[in-house]
Amino acid sequence: MKKILIAITLFYLPVLAGAQQFIAKGKIEFERKLNVHKQIDGYGEWAQEMKKQVPQYHVTYFDFFFDGEKSVYKPGRDNPDNRAGINGWGQGPAQENIVCTNYGTQSSISQKQVFETMYLVQDSLRKIDWKYTTDTRKIAGFNCRKATGIIMDSVFIFAFFTDEIMVTGGPESFNGLPGMILGIAIPRINTTWFATKLELIEPTAKDMAVPTKGKKATISELQKSLQGSLKDWGKWAERNIWNIML
Amino acid sequence: MIKLTVTLLLIAICSITAFGQQATIKGKITDTAEKKTLTNSVVALLRSADSTLVKFTRSNKDGSFTLAGIPAGNYFVLVTHPTFADYYVTTNLKDTSQVELGEVPMILRSQLLEQVIVSQKLGAIRIKKDTTEYIADSFKVAANATVEDLLKRLPGVQVDVDGKIKAQGEDVQKVLVDGEEFFGDDPTMATQNIRADAVERVQVFDKKSDQATFTGIDDGQRTKTINLKLKEDKKNGYFGKVTLGGGLPDKFNNSAMVNAFKGKRKFAVYGIMSNTGRTGLGWGDRNAYGGGEMNMMVDEDGGGGMYFYGGGDDFEGGGGSYYGEGLPTSWSAGTHYSNKFNGDRHKVNFNYKFNKLNTTGAGTTNTEYLLTDSSYFRNEIGNKFSQRIRNNLSGTYEVQLDSSSTLKFTANGTLSKNSNNNRTILQTLSGDQVLVNQLQRLNTSEGQSQALNTTLLWRKKYKRIGRTLSVNFDQRYANNEANGFLKSYNEEFGTNPSKDTTDQAKINNSRLLNVSGKVSYTEPLSKAVTLEINYSIRNNNNESERLTNDEQNGKYELFVDTLSTHYNVNVFTNSGGLNLRINKKKLSFSFGGNISHSGFRQEDLFQDTILRYSYLNFFPRANFNWNIKPQTRFSIRYSGNTRQPTIEQLQPLKDNTDNYFQQVGNPNLKQEFRQNIGINFNDFKIMNNRGIYGYLDFTNILNAMSTSDTIYQNFKRVSQPYNVSGNYNYYSYFGYGFKLKKTDFNINFNANINGGNNNSYITDLQGNTGTKKIRNKSRNFEIGTGGNYNKPKKMDFNLNLGVGYSISKSNSQDIHYWSTSLNGSATVYLPWKTQINANANLNVREKTDAFPQNRNVYLLNGSFSKKIFKDDTGLLSFEMKDVLNQNLGFSRDINETYIQQRTYQTIQRFWLISFTWNFSKNGKAPANPWD
Repeated sequence: MKKILIAITLFYLPVLAGAQQFIAKGKIEFERKLNVHKQIDGYGEWAQEMKKQVPQYHVTYFDFFFDGEKSVYKPGRDNPDNRAGINGWGQGPAQENIVCTNYGTQSSISQKQVFETMYLVQDSLRKIDWKYTTDTRKIAGFNCRKATGIIMDSVFIFAFFTDEIMVTGGPESFNGLPGMILGIAIPRINTTWFATKLELIEPTAKDMAVPTKGKKATISELQKSLQGSLKDWGKWAERNIWNIML
Repeated sequence: MIKLTVTLLLIAICSITAFGQQATIKGKITDTAEKKTLTNSVVALLRSADSTLVKFTRSNKDGSFTLAGIPAGNYFVLVTHPTFADYYVTTNLKDTSQVELGEVPMILRSQLLEQVIVSQKLGAIRIKKDTTEYIADSFKVAANATVEDLLKRLPGVQVDVDGKIKAQGEDVQKVLVDGEEFFGDDPTMATQNIRADAVERVQVFDKKSDQATFTGIDDGQRTKTINLKLKEDKKNGYFGKVTLGGGLPDKFNNSAMVNAFKGKRKFAVYGIMSNTGRTGLGWGDRNAYGGGEMNMMVDEDGGGGMYFYGGGDDFEGGGGSYYGEGLPTSWSAGTHYSNKFNGDRHKVNFNYKFNKLNTTGAGTTNTEYLLTDSSYFRNEIGNKFSQRIRNNLSGTYEVQLDSSSTLKFTANGTLSKNSNNNRTILQTLSGDQVLVNQLQRLNTSEGQSQALNTTLLWRKKYKRIGRTLSVNFDQRYANNEANGFLKSYNEEFGTNPSKDTTDQAKINNSRLLNVSGKVSYTEPLSKAVTLEINYSIRNNNNESERLTNDEQNGKYELFVDTLSTHYNVNVFTNSGGLNLRINKKKLSFSFGGNISHSGFRQEDLFQDTILRYSYLNFFPRANFNWNIKPQTRFSIRYSGNTRQPTIEQLQPLKDNTDNYFQQVGNPNLKQEFRQNIGINFNDFKIMNNRGIYGYLDFTNILNAMSTSDTIYQNFKRVSQPYNVSGNYNYYSYFGYGFKLKKTDFNINFNANINGGNNNSYITDLQGNTGTKKIRNKSRNFEIGTGGNYNKPKKMDFNLNLGVGYSISKSNSQDIHYWSTSLNGSATVYLPWKTQINANANLNVREKTDAFPQNRNVYLLNGSFSKKIFKDDTGLLSFEMKDVLNQNLGFSRDINETYIQQRTYQTIQRFWLISFTWNFSKNGKAPANPWD
């Protein structure tokens, strides 16, 4: 089914290209893939035993709606392969974020379940110093250029973006490239996001709804309270903070 | 309106230019073929030094663009468009530059010719399909050169000043070491940190887009990749530690351990000799040196709980088979070998362990036996020496047969020798403390045993998620032989005094052979529902021979048939079970159970009789689990099981070690049925470090196998298993802990209540009170509080206080007493890499009528240590245990038939000076998963 959709998208694009080459509104589906085995690696025999019980990848889907200057990234369809129970292993907190971005005002509101607390983080957009590369690859039928960046001082990210889509956003809070980010890989947290398909639809008000519930905080306030709470967690703290602060 | 905005924008730009003295670039993008302007082309400004994106814009409807507010510097202007080739131009901007690029001509991608440069030189280069392989040693580099230097020498490979690599004209994005990423994704990590002489081959190939690596999506893209194959001998390394410790009185604690690895091969050796209570590898060292196998189980019933269970045996764990009673001296040694072959598909693991443990000990046990309306006392004083020598060899072979099935074989053999020497004086006193009888006994034995256990496990996971099949075969063999002597002198006082001596040789032999097989299958009925079916058969054969010979003329040849038995018991069990699991995101539920049928065949080889009987046992169970929120969980577990009487309960082996306490069987004993229900709640808030934990556990026993005791003349007691009703017990616990805001103080409170009811029967023939039911109701209340303060690398304080109250009521007794415990520890990190540690443990127990002696223990330990050497690899420490020389082994036990208090010798005050040295090359001990 997925393949067919991609095929349709691929087929449609050149046709559309003639009339309207640049896409300003629609819906993109992202597949987030966490390599659970890599995540638990490095713990000797323990990890080897655990790998036998836990599937290598944990895949979840997200929808990205965009309409002009605004976009909303939120959990999408269920993955039928994910069973409750063992699939939860190796995952961090803040796995089902909703991120609403306004590119006009350069601000965002995101709702994150951080352990027991639901946060509503309001702040200006994340600023990343992107470095261009000459590499390209095709994602969901779009030619994407690769750029690299560093977030939170030391976490390397690889992003693939296309200039065919006008919005300058991406999964989670990633933004700031001249086009839409259709692929992100963050080796430090063993996670990738890749677009699987684009639907040329008009997002509804419901699709673009902004969450209002949660404990209000700015990015630096959340980071500060995390650093305080996870002080005694050693290296797990770092990885959890990376996950939460995406 | 638009005009106004543009004007404002212009003013804004002008003002930026005015204040910041920044540059502007303008231009117009056109299609060269069609001679049209291009809208929405991306114009990106990159810093030429590192390609960092500084600014970007898209071209307007008329193809024009303006990039303003640019700081001075060298830049690329890169113009991109989906259907046109990239256009770029370099520009050097000064503060006030106003660059007009004019018309930017774009060329359609389809018109561009691709340029392909192939450069190839032969020599130490091989080309296998898509892979170009360079033999590293054929390219000369300097002595301490890095891989980067090596790469520069390779034909077709270029390395620029930043370490960026081009191979066959393309950028290399990945550098792998032995096929794996080397500390992340930065290629220079490997090329600048690995020595050139460690590399055997350099392989250059186009990696299929991330097939085996993290991204996992195959989209036909290829990534230029370099793989460095290391020389086998450069994967060598070792790590280890040596500890030497000595102190007074005559204490020593020495150990040495080393783990040498070569690729995936791991070889470890350790040796430990100690008389400070350490008899084997500690928990942390076991993983690094012991090769102790770790098993992991994911609990699918409980919504994804995870359990680790170590493959530890009593060689391991800090205590070995020493549990704090007596004074141990231990010598242990072991070696471990493990390796993986064929891409890790085959794994082998061998361990050999040796332990010799000598323990001397002394202890006193005071027991008050309860009768219906009176009681009597037995006091036991004993000392013992035991020696145990064990040799153990174990091995595991695991093979991944294909992508879905594995086979695992384990074997474990043990040879051991035991010798025991126990001296005991046992006195019985009547309720008014008059000596009734006394037994003096010397019991010696020398024994040896052999054991061999093997298991074979085959597991298959089917394509359909959740469908699995596993087949398990298990064999156990054990042979024990013991020869010993029982010498005892029994005296009875009172109206009919008598004396009697026993001098007998005892031979106890037993042999066990257990064979079993189990098949289990799980089938997903839907996304959330899984059915599990299992079936197993087991045959258990146990032969037991106990022979007694009386002494006659210095020889032990007079066979005592009343004290000799020879049985062969065979139990054949069939068991089948069904389990249904329902897993939802927040809720999970499972129920099911097993039914088993056990057929017994008990052959008395002396009497030549055969007795057959059988039992049907039930094991129902159900679990409910609700993950209310992250870190908030509520669960209920129910399980029931029938327990069949053991052979000893039906027909015990005859024993005369204690003439005044004998056990007889009860052939009419029925199964008991135990039902347990547990309720668990926990809630932890990570953000403010607050936790609430609580559990309640209740067990009810139907037809409980209790005892019916008969008291004969002079308090001679005969105990027989007997079914009773009304037995139950419960445990509950509640805890609350939090961190004081903005401090490093953690505070916790806890409370627990335990109790139960236990019934038994007693027939006092001596007091002529007939048979009476004894009911014992016990309750235990305890509340505690504690706090800790932790400042990493500065100090660490811990204090816990607990107060308990115990009540035990039965027909003739009503005992209650208070107990208090206080534990504290403090560690302070001082300058010059030193630290001081002290801990105190105070236990105060209220005296009772039954135990008038003071049994308080005040235990104080302290140590001072200093890290030495470069990288802190050495540690010097001075420690003193039990500074007040007060340590005492102590236990109290109250139940429906007796009240018992035991005190025993244990390790008391000593001091120890020790030195530890950690060493390593290319490696370190594996990470602890709880780090």
